[in-house]
Amino acid sequence: MEKESMISELVRLVGRENVLSSAMHYRLYEYDASLIRSKPDCIVLPTSTEQVAKVVKFAHDHKIRVIARGAGTNLSGGSVSIQGGIAIVMTKMNQILDMDIENLRVVVQPGVVTLDLKNVLAKHGYLYQPDPASEKVTTIGGNFGENAGGPHCLKYGVTSNHVLGAEIVLADGQVVQVGGKSLDNPGYDLMGVLGASEGTLAIVTKAVLRIMPKAEAVKTMLCIYNSIEDGGNTVTAIIGAGIIPATLEMMDNLTIKAVEEAYHVGFPIDAAAILIIELDGLKDGMDRVTERILAICREHNVREIRVAKDQAERDKIWAGRKGAFGAVGRLRPNYLVNDGTVPRTRLPETLAKVVEIGKKYKLPIANVFHAGDGNLHPLILFDERDKDELERVHAAATEIMKVCADMGGTISGEHGIGVEKLHGMSMIFSAKDIAAMKRVKEAFDPLNLMNPGKVLPETEKAA
Amino acid sequence: MSNANQMALALKEMVGEANAILDPDRIKAYAVDGMAPKAVVAPGSVEEVSKLLAYANAEKLAVAPRGNGTKMAQGGVPRKLDVVLSMLRINRMTEHDVPNLSLSVQAGMTLSALQEKLAATGKGSFLPLDPPYTSQATIGGIIATNSSGPQRYLYSTARDLLLGLKAVSPNGDIVAFGGKTVKNVSGYDMTKLMIGSWGALGVITEITTKLLPLPEASATLLVSFETLAKAGSLTRKVLHSALLPSAMELMDRKASGQLGEKEKYLVAFNLEGVGEAVERQVPEIGEMGKKEGAVDTKVLKGQDERSLWLRVRDFALVTKAPVILKSNFVISGQAEILGSYEKMAQDAGVDCAFIGHAGNGILTTYILENGVAKTGPLVDLIGKFTAEAAKHDGNLVVESCPSELKAKISVWGQPRTDMVVMRRLKEKMDPFDVLNPGRFVGEL
Repeated sequence: MEKESMISELVRLVGRENVLSSAMHYRLYEYDASLIRSKPDCIVLPTSTEQVAKVVKFAHDHKIRVIARGAGTNLSGGSVSIQGGIAIVMTKMNQILDMDIENLRVVVQPGVVTLDLKNVLAKHGYLYQPDPASEKVTTIGGNFGENAGGPHCLKYGVTSNHVLGAEIVLADGQVVQVGGKSLDNPGYDLMGVLGASEGTLAIVTKAVLRIMPKAEAVKTMLCIYNSIEDGGNTVTAIIGAGIIPATLEMMDNLTIKAVEEAYHVGFPIDAAAILIIELDGLKDGMDRVTERILAICREHNVREIRVAKDQAERDKIWAGRKGAFGAVGRLRPNYLVNDGTVPRTRLPETLAKVVEIGKKYKLPIANVFHAGDGNLHPLILFDERDKDELERVHAAATEIMKVCADMGGTISGEHGIGVEKLHGMSMIFSAKDIAAMKRVKEAFDPLNLMNPGKVLPETEKAA
Repeated sequence: MSNANQMALALKEMVGEANAILDPDRIKAYAVDGMAPKAVVAPGSVEEVSKLLAYANAEKLAVAPRGNGTKMAQGGVPRKLDVVLSMLRINRMTEHDVPNLSLSVQAGMTLSALQEKLAATGKGSFLPLDPPYTSQATIGGIIATNSSGPQRYLYSTARDLLLGLKAVSPNGDIVAFGGKTVKNVSGYDMTKLMIGSWGALGVITEITTKLLPLPEASATLLVSFETLAKAGSLTRKVLHSALLPSAMELMDRKASGQLGEKEKYLVAFNLEGVGEAVERQVPEIGEMGKKEGAVDTKVLKGQDERSLWLRVRDFALVTKAPVILKSNFVISGQAEILGSYEKMAQDAGVDCAFIGHAGNGILTTYILENGVAKTGPLVDLIGKFTAEAAKHDGNLVVESCPSELKAKISVWGQPRTDMVVMRRLKEKMDPFDVLNPGRFVGEL
């Protein structure tokens, strides 16, 4: 279909005010937080489920590709229109539809910003647990599509553990309900497979989320180390002692320095590593568990321990952690972040390998990670104008993925496969595994119109 | 040679003569809803399962996977049944990563055998699932049917615990999904899709799961009430408090009596975890109960406590209930729905006992022996129960019932709009209808 007639048809379907097609807009929607860029053929910002359904049906009838998109903070190219098509931007659908506190559920449109929702819930004394570092800007729809994590996922699980139902638009424009406010609905767990499917199966137009009452007590500790191995070994020892805190976060020296320079949160810039350990739950026994954790830290040569005395001190520590990517981003023009994940006991040796890879490719790597989950975030720093450096970055990233796979881990813990990690899928899945996933894709989207070219690599060998 | 003989030969060759049952008299015990298979086979390895399914796929045979058979009365009447596939010989723990708190175990091991091993290793850990049929249920059966128990209130269900699984696709492909990390977004989350899929998309051969350290302390608190409204009010207050029981079960007078307690409305709390927290919550919830008008509170520890929860989990065995219904609905509907169910059952003259996961919006109805004789009223009652659950955003699944009844009711409740996707999934993943045809939702 000619671009011009496509645009005028979309204007007819959703209104002029909800269609963008200027050169500037194409540039604004050509990227996400990865290095991948590609312009969509048209951008629509629907305001209702009906509009989404109409656009998708129109696209289906004319075999045009569609790519759903939220705030574009995803880190692997998942929301970039690599094969053109219509970018369906969900940010105008940003209403909290139903605060059903009685049933511990909220129903939201996908464009609701995660932190906005959390702030509204906090006023009622309730929590939506997932807390991706980008929660200030990311949308619930995007969080679900990527299955976003965050520090508190160690104890509470990732986004898909908290999204229990959805209204979705299928590839042909049909609107169906999946899951719901109640648990254990009969049938296949379609919600389960939709989480992390990166918009390749359907577009979510409403989501039912689980909320919970705020914990009675929280304790946040900042543990400072002179050696990164000691920090890593502490993590392993805490889990090994049978303690699963709410968070177990770690940062290396490069990250600490960058964060301190950017935010002045009081991190010691000469430390080799810091751990942020948080406990939550009932106040009873918490002091004793804290003492056990601190004893483990001491056994592993902790240099200094700071226990946050109040909410303000806690907020300061977390501001440092959540701002880490931004702070590191100030060091060089670009960074590429991996999120390979390993069994948590193999964290120290994996880290050592990451350091080696940085040396081998002559690239600075800042490390900030969800240590308790074994989820690494090596931020490889570079300047994309330097073509040689850019090549080394991709080689290093691939090598890090391989290390994680070889450690019995996986290539992506929470950022998604998108386009960036497609070539790593064969490190962890056989052609048969991928063929089974492809059958799911075909069942949802027989014409391969929904965000094509993402998540599943081409596998000619696949049976 | 006849087709039947050819099949018999082929199966024997695949799994070994000793592991194939072909004698019609012995096969009878494996009939599903009165339909006897032509053979029962027990492969000894994943490769043998793969060969078997590839053969079934080529020959268009219908296969029903089976563990210890505790849930064979569940589901729709099979459209076809050729081979029952017993997973009992594939039953090893393949990896127990103690410091990582993760475990890989094959489908045929029973959960109780597994828990014993876990408790005895290192500092002790457990897989936080407590589904019915405690001593018999196998890992594969529990996961394939997404079976759960009272402790799901704190620990949730398989979808929030499993890290990965291995399965054999209907075409014989051996596939692995997820992994052993607690976070993983590489590829589609096929693990969740397989959990609760009733073996209709693949035969689960192994799971990898998180484990939890054994709790320091545990206690159980029973709070009894004369009225359902007051009992319901207590569950609501605890649900919205910062307190963290691991189980909160609400039961009617009948169920309470059957468990050997006074015939009152009973709320049973399990508290476990850090010692201090258990010590605090027991009296605190007791006080909350008294404020709501409780007539009695009782604390159980040790053997008494374990024995009570065993009887709750295995209530189906305790009562020998021939019909079991599971309703789901929004959490706040618990007491109201239990109340309407009681009244409906009374009006129909059907004898029932009710136990609900009060913090999850799940209510199980056990129809007792003397209720089942009246098929007409029973069919009508199941319809009314389903409609009532549906009014509260829920549904009703018949977890167990005699085959004769299945012709007259919908065992999977009211169909929903997502049926269109489920149908396409089944067609794509199992085009020749090899696995459990007819038994799952929408007669898939």
